[in-house]
Amino acid sequence: MSVRRKIVSSPHDARGVGTSAAASEAVRGGDFLFVSGLTATDPQSGMRMPGTTASETRQILSNLKQLLKRAGSSFDKIVKVNVLLHSMLEAPNMNEVHVQFFPDPPPARTVCGARLPDGMKVMIECTALA
Amino acid sequence: MSEGLVRTAIAPKNPLLNASRVGNLPHVPGIRVGEYIFLSGMVPVDTQTGERSLGPIAEQVRITLSNMQHTLESAGSSLERVVRVHVVLADIANLTEMDRIYREFFRVDPPARMVWSMQLRFGNGCEIECVALAA
Repeated sequence: MSVRRKIVSSPHDARGVGTSAAASEAVRGGDFLFVSGLTATDPQSGMRMPGTTASETRQILSNLKQLLKRAGSSFDKIVKVNVLLHSMLEAPNMNEVHVQFFPDPPPARTVCGARLPDGMKVMIECTALA
Repeated sequence: MSEGLVRTAIAPKNPLLNASRVGNLPHVPGIRVGEYIFLSGMVPVDTQTGERSLGPIAEQVRITLSNMQHTLESAGSSLERVVRVHVVLADIANLTEMDRIYREFFRVDPPARMVWSMQLRFGNGCEIECVALAA
């Protein structure tokens, strides 16, 4: 078994209460950190925070920032972000928040419209340098 | 081009599970590069017939993950080395049922994962891809 694979976990799982234990919050593999798809949750209570596309995006990226910090990475080490939205018509609302979080140059990114679990409007995952 | 890094196509030992070749599609089952293996999206294919196997979602997920295991092991990797999984469902209502089967395959230290739903072709109920450490 490779010693290059390491699970990142914490008492404040960025995926919140009731999250499937079938996945890890993030996994380090080699030089990269793979972060699970995150939805908007309160980092203290772990409860989901359904809101607008903008508010969910802000909450997710704020939680992601803490997660990356715990894992020894950071926003400027992100190489690729995948964003799923409940409606592509909301992409500008997600973008407005997105630019506030990412350094210049920002990472590569894909945005898709998709059906998300539990009626959430936004889901974000990323791959970063560990 | 990074020096030393070589890009190699990998394939399942069971040729019937090589959906790329069987369907004459412009991709390969997987690529090994450096210490990683990147698999193409996999759908439920019967190991005996090579045909799509579109039973209940639990069965589709089990077949797909079992074939993923075979493909990884054919290339010297394994499910234990998977670091990130994408699960795409045709119907997000199947999330719980997918999860039930998924746990059978990733019992300890599971990989990072993102699950969502969007249109899939040919009536497939799920499509699953992953990134794994090669060894």
